[in-house]
Amino acid sequence: MLEIVLSGSLLMLFVVPIVALLTFAPPSEIARVASEKGVETSLLFTVYASALAVAVALVLGVPLGYVLARRSFPGRSVVASVVALPVMLPHLLVGLGFLLLTLPGTPVHAWAEAARLPLVGSITGVVLVMVFVSAPYTVLASELSFRAVDPRLLEVSRSLGASRSSAFLTVTLPLAVRGIGAGLLLSWARAVSEIGGLLVLAYTIYPSGAYQGPVTSPISVYIYNLFELGNLKDAAAVSSLFLLIAFAVFLAVRLGERAGRLPWGRGELLP
Amino acid sequence: MSRWSISGLASRLEGFTLGPIDLELPPGLPVAVLGRSGTGKTTLLRSVAGFVPTTGGRILRDGVDLVRFPPEERSVGYVPQGLGLFPHLSVEQNVRYPLDLRRVRRGTPERVRGLLRRFGLEALASRQPSRLSAGEAQKVALARALAADADLLLWDEPAHALDVEDRDELVRIFRELGREEGLGLLLVTHDPVLAFALAERFVVLSDGRVRFSGDARELIDRPPDSFSARFAGYENLYSRPRLEELGGGLAAWLLARSGPEGVAFPAPLLGRTDGLPGWEAEVEASRPGPEGTSVELSAGGLRLRARRSGLPEGNELRVGARVRFALDATSLRPLGGVPAERTGSAA
Repeated sequence: MLEIVLSGSLLMLFVVPIVALLTFAPPSEIARVASEKGVETSLLFTVYASALAVAVALVLGVPLGYVLARRSFPGRSVVASVVALPVMLPHLLVGLGFLLLTLPGTPVHAWAEAARLPLVGSITGVVLVMVFVSAPYTVLASELSFRAVDPRLLEVSRSLGASRSSAFLTVTLPLAVRGIGAGLLLSWARAVSEIGGLLVLAYTIYPSGAYQGPVTSPISVYIYNLFELGNLKDAAAVSSLFLLIAFAVFLAVRLGERAGRLPWGRGELLP
Repeated sequence: MSRWSISGLASRLEGFTLGPIDLELPPGLPVAVLGRSGTGKTTLLRSVAGFVPTTGGRILRDGVDLVRFPPEERSVGYVPQGLGLFPHLSVEQNVRYPLDLRRVRRGTPERVRGLLRRFGLEALASRQPSRLSAGEAQKVALARALAADADLLLWDEPAHALDVEDRDELVRIFRELGREEGLGLLLVTHDPVLAFALAERFVVLSDGRVRFSGDARELIDRPPDSFSARFAGYENLYSRPRLEELGGGLAAWLLARSGPEGVAFPAPLLGRTDGLPGWEAEVEASRPGPEGTSVELSAGGLRLRARRSGLPEGNELRVGARVRFALDATSLRPLGGVPAERTGSAA
């Protein structure tokens, strides 16, 4: 009984501010802002940039999680702590850190100039910040998932004829994929909700590199902008729209799992 | 059908040194590896399977040294404690796993069906391993190892969590595989019933080295240590320091016949004297069974287990009753080598 009361209290804490937001922005207002070109562009840009950030987390974060789970090397604890660092850092500092990197005279600035990939006000900067703040979730979830795979299963797989890589692909990965999926979903959620670092590094996005669309802002910055201008009504409406989209994604994953349509089959994705 | 032998095998794992180990593994003749926990039994299996780097020696299959071969090229079926069934695959997928790895297309479904039929697993083909009984899971592990064409099974605790019927069936299957297909079997077990029913040879490890190697008769006749003696069914075991501490009477008589580590002997039969040296003891407990009554006695500070044929009459074996028992010196087994003294008179 106590656990139900405690769980219910936390759920109330989650739900009440969201209800307040949705009450402030009725469906008609949400529909109105959804049809605005600026909102649509910002949302699409955010989804696109966050998808790139999740892709980077997948390609770089999952191997790092594997290394932390399975390899023993000097300084492993230090590396594991470094991975957790972005989660602890105030997000404005993240933006500041990247901004200092790109000051004229720095090697990063010189490289970005040569590669025609500006970090400030560009999708490159947005993705970098998003990866910085979100990839740790993928790394940590992957590490825990790989660690949970019984090493004896790999030995059995090898003795049945699997090479090291086959054993990884046919045993380790399928058994860890659910946890990795959970990490990627959390990374995506963290990436789309990022604002602190983006306010410093990518307040306005100009076409460059992987983004050649109209000038826009990440959705979190867009909402903050409306709020700063005193347009609380629109800020609430866009926030509600964003909230509904994020909720729909999580719900789709849950339902997909229940229907057994995700690669990890039936069961729960989120731990 | 291959002939396996291990010669001077040595390995090192996290500070533990195994070997040198010498073993012959003729086709179809199961070998049981015994020993206390931490003596290197599992390390031996994992070394043969290729998961523990060896520091010396050879693992020969039909004369070919496999020491430098990766695990997947050794033709051994390694089954760890817990069996290692893949939890994300069904029974059928587990069995076909080795065939899929080798990309065997032709005849795969028939082969898998044949293996499932052989072990009575057809009805369980689509079931996940978590929903199998211990006996069913054993059969899946076995079918999978056979699908990989392993000609030596390395099995860690095959009877773990099995009930008596499943264990008997496992023994029958192993015997059949050994007889018909010449499948070699090196098994680590703590189950004396399984080991004596199945193994042709016994190897006792102690501190990573072979302390004993022989058949069942030799193991019973000269158990090398208290673990082996208990495994072989000796119910009374005494360490040398314990006998020295007690001194006098029965303890002194046993001490004179003990080895460097102590002495073991089977439960003496109450009521039988035949002119043998005898002692008086007090009954501490008794338990009737189909083979007679097992009686716990206290004599001269030693607790020992004896047996009475049939069930007790009246208060004959009540707690506190005084009984006499006799010991046949030829039934005593010195532990740890030759006895300190073979002579000695009855108490």
